[in-house]
Amino acid sequence: MIDVELRVNGQQVRESVPDQTLLIEFLRETLGLTGTHVGCDTTQCGACTVRLDGLAVKSCTVLAAQASGGEVTTVEGLARGDSLHPVQKAFVQCHGLQCGFCTPGMIMAIDFYLREPAPLDRDSICHGLEGNICRCTGYINIIEAVRHASRELYPNDAATEERS
Amino acid sequence: MSQAPLIGQPLPRLEDQRFVTGRGRYTDDIRVDGQVYAAFLRSPHAHAMLVSIDTDAARAAPGVIAVLTGADYLQAGYRGINHVPNPADAIEHARPAFMQSSTGEVLNIGHLPLPIDKVRYVGEAVAMVIARTKLEARNAAELIEVEYDALDAVVDAIDAMQPDAPSLWDEAPGNLCFQTQIGDRDEAQRRLADAHLVLKREFRHSRVVNCQMEPRAALGDYDEASGTYTLISGSQGAVRLKMALAQALQVPPEQVRVVCPDTGGGFGPRTFLYVEQLAVVWAARAVGRPVKWTGDRSEAFLSDYQGRDAIIRASIGFDRDGRILAIDNEWFGNVGAHTVSYVPMSNGTRVMTTVYHVPVAAVHVSAVLTNTVPTVPYRGAGRPESTHVMERMLDLAAHALGLDRIEIRRRNLIAHEALPYRTAMGLTYDSGRFLDNMLRAVEVSGWHGFETRRGEALARGKLRGIGLANYVESPVGAPRERIEITVLPDGIVDIVAGTQSTGQGHETTFAQVVSTCLGISPGAIRLRTGDTAFVAVGGGSHSDRTMRLGGMLLVDCCTQIIELARQAAAQRFDCDPASLQFADGEFSASGARRITLFDLARTLQDTAVPACAQLDDKPLPPRDAAPARLFARAEFTGRIPAHPTGSAVCEIEVDPDTGATTVVNYTSIDDVGQPINPLIVEGQVHGGLAQGLGQALSETCYVDRETGQLMTGSFMDYGVMRAAGMPPLQLELTEDPTTGNPLRVKGGGESGITPATATVFNALADALDGMGTLERHSAELEMPATPRVIWEYLHSEDDDAV
Repeated sequence: MIDVELRVNGQQVRESVPDQTLLIEFLRETLGLTGTHVGCDTTQCGACTVRLDGLAVKSCTVLAAQASGGEVTTVEGLARGDSLHPVQKAFVQCHGLQCGFCTPGMIMAIDFYLREPAPLDRDSICHGLEGNICRCTGYINIIEAVRHASRELYPNDAATEERS
Repeated sequence: MSQAPLIGQPLPRLEDQRFVTGRGRYTDDIRVDGQVYAAFLRSPHAHAMLVSIDTDAARAAPGVIAVLTGADYLQAGYRGINHVPNPADAIEHARPAFMQSSTGEVLNIGHLPLPIDKVRYVGEAVAMVIARTKLEARNAAELIEVEYDALDAVVDAIDAMQPDAPSLWDEAPGNLCFQTQIGDRDEAQRRLADAHLVLKREFRHSRVVNCQMEPRAALGDYDEASGTYTLISGSQGAVRLKMALAQALQVPPEQVRVVCPDTGGGFGPRTFLYVEQLAVVWAARAVGRPVKWTGDRSEAFLSDYQGRDAIIRASIGFDRDGRILAIDNEWFGNVGAHTVSYVPMSNGTRVMTTVYHVPVAAVHVSAVLTNTVPTVPYRGAGRPESTHVMERMLDLAAHALGLDRIEIRRRNLIAHEALPYRTAMGLTYDSGRFLDNMLRAVEVSGWHGFETRRGEALARGKLRGIGLANYVESPVGAPRERIEITVLPDGIVDIVAGTQSTGQGHETTFAQVVSTCLGISPGAIRLRTGDTAFVAVGGGSHSDRTMRLGGMLLVDCCTQIIELARQAAAQRFDCDPASLQFADGEFSASGARRITLFDLARTLQDTAVPACAQLDDKPLPPRDAAPARLFARAEFTGRIPAHPTGSAVCEIEVDPDTGATTVVNYTSIDDVGQPINPLIVEGQVHGGLAQGLGQALSETCYVDRETGQLMTGSFMDYGVMRAAGMPPLQLELTEDPTTGNPLRVKGGGESGITPATATVFNALADALDGMGTLERHSAELEMPATPRVIWEYLHSEDDDAV
């Protein structure tokens, strides 16, 4: 057993878990944060993507112990009260989700992609989504949601529009 | 405030709030008190006798509660699953699609959760461990010693029909589930004999893995006191699962409850009961505790029911002008190792003539068992296969006759004036502007300016091709559906439906329909589905049936509600019911008297409130205890004409040095009927297209022909479409109204996928034609057309090398 101490969605948590516990298991099973999903076992699908110390990581490939001492944001921690994060809002507006299973990982990956003004041309966005698989949407509306969210996040960034 | 009609509006989905905030609730998210965990040991052999299963070491392992085998299951008196593989007929719903077989009967072999005599595919569950934790269960499963006596395996449908092929089941000589002739083959052959041109070609429609993003999971429970089994598990329809479980467990259906929470993708294969779903409820009874299983992606590749895998040998006769005279096809459906579903063969053969006038059509169908994962309907289910064959054959005929590819289609399309048109296979098309749709696709895709683009591509060293396909679908699926609507005094309109969403946004579209009919805000409408505690009847969601049948029943229920309420309002105002005006959810009478539906519901029922508790994993009290007064129920059993149709164009570039392809443009013209929500319909087309392009170009489900081993068992090997693979898309919805249902719904779930492989392969043939390959090869490009396949096609001398 090993002690894991994390700040998750602004809350300090400390739990003792088996050494081999993955960050995704720690979030889903130990903390009961089931918004982050497991979609594969080869780090391909990205359904488990969370923000760890400012980076988007696949939480199925990080040990909880490795993350200890760090700060984690999951899809549950993005909204501010009733106010959705711009990426969440864009997914609703653009119909960027169908079954919703890949959505939390997609949202967290895009949250990272748009951490600063980012290129909005098709190829760049697709490169940013390379680590996330969706079987329902054909990605078309997800790509649109990235642009939509960027416009809300960076309303005065003329370069954003130029890049799209 | 006046409620604007919402049918046809691109309303953002009402259910999205919970999904984007991580509050979706999928099976693995649910935990019940005292739950323990299951793990399955799976067969490493495609075909082997089970000599012995030694579970001693596993039983002694830490945390293990029980180890169960097929023998335990049979000893407890349970039966194999009856999947009802032979579906309701596409026209006469009361009879099965396949009535007879030259083998004597249409087989239906009970599907045991764990086999007792032998294993029949790699990944088949052999034994089940129940332990305190997931890890303990998995570790213990590895301690089970199974002695196998390996047998030869066969994975290809035609191989399995050979006299010396290994036999899977004693019940199935020649590995045939059934074999039957549809249509007048003698007449078709007479017409072919007189034809100016007879084209023959074999098409191998590749096997696909469903790859819904949510790995399957199931949570079983058993209540000793009431003798009731409960299954919580994502699916495409709770009622079908309940009936199948009851039959297998040998209890009346009322002793089984199936709860379907949010489901992470369906696409067909989650319609049927899985052995793991049966095993967890059985195990829950055996160990006296709730049992949970969550599969991983590797298990999904090995055991999720798969799709397609059909070989079609086509023979089509044309006159000298390119008009189709007759079709005489052979269809070999690879059923897999168990008789789960014959739907693809039923759908595919019915719609075989697609949108063309075909005077005579015949097809000989063989449903063949092989040592592979069972196959079931996968998005489109037979329709993409038939569309592919027809559209490829038309391109080949145009080539052979020196005709333009659009022109040969124009000559064969069913004219709008000919509607209603009964096809040689018995379907009656009531609507559809087939020619207009094609011409629109030609225009939007810039078909006539293509040669310039081909030239530009060639200058860059790329081979560019363009291909078109027309399609039509047939309204099939479970023929029975029910909707119930209750107006609750607390301001909610409650809908209970037998269909359920696996991502199609029913909470939104159902609300749009009911809001429009009753003139109330969509926020006041609540949809409940997926729990047999309150859903008694319903076929689930597949075959575009949800809005086709459900929409019609929603309208029916709303009409009933308005009439009931009108009587009540007339009583209240002491006036003639006909004198009341109904708008925006309220009745108005002379003298500015008004009353809303909700107020009427309140006056009608002073005390009673029907059972509308939220899903809480516990049985609800029987709703009959307090019948609601403003309540309507509508039910339908049968078929209604509704034929989604359209035309699509694919433009593709091939790099001849590497065989790599890029779909550079795609056009889709789709008549889905009236779109209730165009945003959602377009999303359905996008998703279907992604799956179709994936099958055409990258999704290789490679099963080794000798050993039956799956070689592409993860997302690292199996090419599910990624974002970068999607082309720029021009999508237009169009409508030639059907009168078959009040909302004019045809269906949009399969629009994107149905013509997709056909357009891609026509475009590829067009691209590769420039290299003279068409003359060199008499066989089709292999599907999927991966870079390797294309490179070999370009660089080999003859078919043998491919």
